[in-house]
Amino acid sequence: MTVPEHAIVTKALTKNFGHFTAVDQLSVGVGKGELFGLLGPNGAGKTTTVRMLCTLIEPSHGTASVVGYDIREHAAEVRRQIGVVSEGVSLYKDLSIEENLKLLATLYELPRPKAEVRIRELMDMFAFREKATRLVGALSSGWAKKAMICAALLHSPQVLFLDEVTSGLDPQSAIALQEFTKKQCEQGVTVIWTTHYMGEPEKICNRVGIMFAGRLVQVGTPAELRHSVSEFSTVEVETPGLSGGQLEKLRAKLKVMGQVYQVRYVDPKLEISCERTESLAEEVAGALLEVGARIRGISTKDPTLEEAFIALTGGEEEIDQFLESAEQKA
Amino acid sequence: MSVARFLSDSLAIAENEFREFRRNRSAILISLVVLPLFFTVSLGAGQGGAGTTFSPTAHIPIAWVDNDNSLASIRLWQTLAGSPDFRNLIQGYSEQSAVAQLGTKRIYAVIVVPKGFQNDLENGNQARLILYTDDGEPGVSDQIQATLTSYTQNFNPNVEVQPHLSQLQRQSVAGVAIVTKGATFAGFNIGLTTVLAIVQIFACFYEIAGGISREREEGTYARLLVSPVSLGSIVLGKTLFDILLTIVRTFTILGISIYGYGARPNTDLGTLLALSLIVALVTIGIGFVVAALKVGQRAVVIIEFFLILFLFAFSGLIIDSNLLVGISQVVSYLLPFTYAFDALKRTVLLGRPLLSLTFDLEYLIGSIIVSYAMAFVLLHFSRERLIT
Repeated sequence: MTVPEHAIVTKALTKNFGHFTAVDQLSVGVGKGELFGLLGPNGAGKTTTVRMLCTLIEPSHGTASVVGYDIREHAAEVRRQIGVVSEGVSLYKDLSIEENLKLLATLYELPRPKAEVRIRELMDMFAFREKATRLVGALSSGWAKKAMICAALLHSPQVLFLDEVTSGLDPQSAIALQEFTKKQCEQGVTVIWTTHYMGEPEKICNRVGIMFAGRLVQVGTPAELRHSVSEFSTVEVETPGLSGGQLEKLRAKLKVMGQVYQVRYVDPKLEISCERTESLAEEVAGALLEVGARIRGISTKDPTLEEAFIALTGGEEEIDQFLESAEQKA
Repeated sequence: MSVARFLSDSLAIAENEFREFRRNRSAILISLVVLPLFFTVSLGAGQGGAGTTFSPTAHIPIAWVDNDNSLASIRLWQTLAGSPDFRNLIQGYSEQSAVAQLGTKRIYAVIVVPKGFQNDLENGNQARLILYTDDGEPGVSDQIQATLTSYTQNFNPNVEVQPHLSQLQRQSVAGVAIVTKGATFAGFNIGLTTVLAIVQIFACFYEIAGGISREREEGTYARLLVSPVSLGSIVLGKTLFDILLTIVRTFTILGISIYGYGARPNTDLGTLLALSLIVALVTIGIGFVVAALKVGQRAVVIIEFFLILFLFAFSGLIIDSNLLVGISQVVSYLLPFTYAFDALKRTVLLGRPLLSLTFDLEYLIGSIIVSYAMAFVLLHFSRERLIT
């Protein structure tokens, strides 16, 4: 084993399910202590990537290593080094959180005294002491998620996979979890944070990889990703009472003007994400007036990560088509 | 991985299974109470009622026609009518009218003592009884013949015919047809062999195949797979726990059968326990194989019903596998449970020592090895399918 520069390295990692390619030639390196976000819509290949790195499923092609261990050759060693919180990986509902942790402590070969200390630590960290004997099945979804994180951290893993970990959590719990994860990274734990919520990686991740249709479209810091689509801009218009017909006409006019990624209308606010041009606001205002819309106000803003994501993945229609085909395949 | 590590993980899995089971009231009820009780009581009650003196022939209406009217025939009547096995012997019919009643459900058999019965006994000849039975009730007919045989073999007419007793025991056994029926089995012994195997098969299959299916659906199987525990430890841990349940069930079934229905197995507890465990291990292996096919919990229940029907058809429970023909016989010979039922019958009914059943044991142990090997390979290669 060589001392790894990266905690995780993948080279052309690919996973096929029959004719469907869930992950396509994924090559990326994640540094030690880094909080790396994998961002993408449902079906983009995030969970499949995590499952390959967790050794739950085998890659069809390519290689990957986790803290220096090849996921195929040294799967058992990889499992000792990782903690996983994922939708398909649960705790025993008929056991208490403490009993679940004790089972895992045995399986991870923690000596009993050390395990007891660690379980107490985690119970305190997550304020679980009073709920220690409650059955996992009787916990609310937020507490159950915390219990799963406890279980994932029990053996002090070097790499933590948090797959869609905030889904189903209330905003306070989600924020607390984000803060907790940042602290784990400060202590040297590498975290892979997968999500389809665009706002999360922007707030917490050191770097973000954007996945779409099984491919890693772009990797960078949130700022770098936003910058990579600097030719992209969003126009916000306050235009009340826009009808469906007017909206269709407007879309047609905007297409003539150039690349339009997204048009979103929630009365009275219209958001148009498109290529940046010198006179973008004037052109949009002109098009609106031509379709008979009333304009109360108009402004332009720099792209968010969400908008960058949309731009990088080819626009709203492509995402819709992808989601539709992914659903059909599922 | 060291052996100690492997065993420690297996025990942790087994302990975890036990903890989960302890919390799951419906699992406790089904595995340890409902299944053993339901099968044993149903079969026991179906064979005529409860109690240690239970006899399947006790309440069957049987006509008694005495054409000899001798001291010996009266003694035989007294012996039979006073026994716990023939409490519904009806007198007053002529042979012709009694035979005419067969098939009407008023009487199921006619025992005729022919003229010269006592003379035959006194002269050292073969004394005969004629038995007519209702052909429409083959099970009843067999039971009456078997029980009557046991009484005529032991019949002691009286002091006057005593000198001919040895002759009687050797030859005069109620007609040749009865003698050829072979051994008779008291009380619930036959039922015990069936229940012991069927309950373990039914329960073990559901516990393993259904248990893994549930774990897969709930995501706890994936939790085990992302931990360093080996597949072998998972399989062994679950097997150990199911063996514990099998032992508890075996004692429950034996308790009800012996104290509730008068079963008198002609073998020792160790043999019964060993055979129960062998049946359980074959089933657990098959359960793992089915679990590896990624079937849902509902599908497990459906497969279980098919399995039970299959067992009844081909494993010698209804028709002996030697009497089956063509493909049915091939299926029967391939089915490990055929040998399990055979071993149970030979030990429980005939008192054969377990280790003398070499072929049955070899086939069953071979089946355990094959089913576990198949399960291991399938679970290993279907790892991905089981969590996606």
